[in-house]
Amino acid sequence: MIAEETLVQELQKEESRAKAFEVLVNTYKERLYWHIRRIVLDHDDTDDVLQNTFIKVYRNIEKFKGDSKLYSWMYRIATNESLTFLKQKSKKLGLSDQELKERMVENLQADVYFEGDEIQLKLQKALATLPDKQKLVFTMKYFQEMKYKDISEALETSEGALKASYHLAVKKIETYLKEN
Amino acid sequence: MKKDKKNTFNTPEGYFENFNDRLMDKIKAEEAHENDGIIPKTDGFTLPDGYFDKVESNILSKTSEKETKIVPLGTNRYLLYTGVAAIAAIFILIFSITGNPTSDPITFDDLANAEIEAYLENTELEMTSYEIAEVVSLEEVELNDILVDDLEESIIMEYLDENVDDIEELNLEDLDYE
Repeated sequence: MIAEETLVQELQKEESRAKAFEVLVNTYKERLYWHIRRIVLDHDDTDDVLQNTFIKVYRNIEKFKGDSKLYSWMYRIATNESLTFLKQKSKKLGLSDQELKERMVENLQADVYFEGDEIQLKLQKALATLPDKQKLVFTMKYFQEMKYKDISEALETSEGALKASYHLAVKKIETYLKEN
Repeated sequence: MKKDKKNTFNTPEGYFENFNDRLMDKIKAEEAHENDGIIPKTDGFTLPDGYFDKVESNILSKTSEKETKIVPLGTNRYLLYTGVAAIAAIFILIFSITGNPTSDPITFDDLANAEIEAYLENTELEMTSYEIAEVVSLEEVELNDILVDDLEESIIMEYLDENVDDIEELNLEDLDYE
């Protein structure tokens, strides 16, 4: 894998941008896909948000200052794009954020790209009851196995607060699964 | 005691010899079960075959579209003249408006509160609480300056107690719980 710093330099130079962008998409498409998928749940919606995320990255790469890692910067864009997408969707459907989340989980039962069993469906129901930040921290840590340091950069939150959020999320999910 | 010596109970053959092994197996099994937890390890999402190959070419085709060509203004005389004409028109318009003594300039106060509220309600501000806090300086503003009715402390405490279940929302920094 190409070193991140070199990749950023190549992305910021016009003559090498196209080639470097191809490497970037190839390297991060799967990780970003799963990050977005766990927020918007539906495959086709994920596809839209993933493409928009990369297009935003492409258009804004010159503004990337290197204060954080390229990887966390892209996660930040993907997270914002996903949450904005959900907000627009709930507005379009005339639903509250919570109503939309519940409907998204209901739709999973008929989704051909969801093969979860009863307990996995229940997990999604439990996740839908959490505040956005707790859900994000939980999926990034538990399913994507990211380090607190990387999550902290991506979500611009201190590691201590993230640990507290993760702890609360696990507690709430366990209680939900036990009670239902 | 006599009674103990005359033991009528029996154990299967080799029971005590195997006891340690069986006990250790059971402890290991229970530990494994505890670590397993109630939360499933995977979440059951799948995707169409060959999706990642396809999405790459989709993204690359969208970003490699040629950007709109920019025509330099100075090279086209027609554009130059229309530009001058447009600026002249704007000046004439400004003078004709400001020259009229009866018309008052429109100010921010003329916007109905309902219109401002509708704008804020319907427009995606895309700002986090952190970003809003950066833009709106609260150093010189008390909470009660913004609100129409004064808030009693007890009401604030009651609200926080009922509504804040996420420590994040309190914007506290560097809370290390572990």
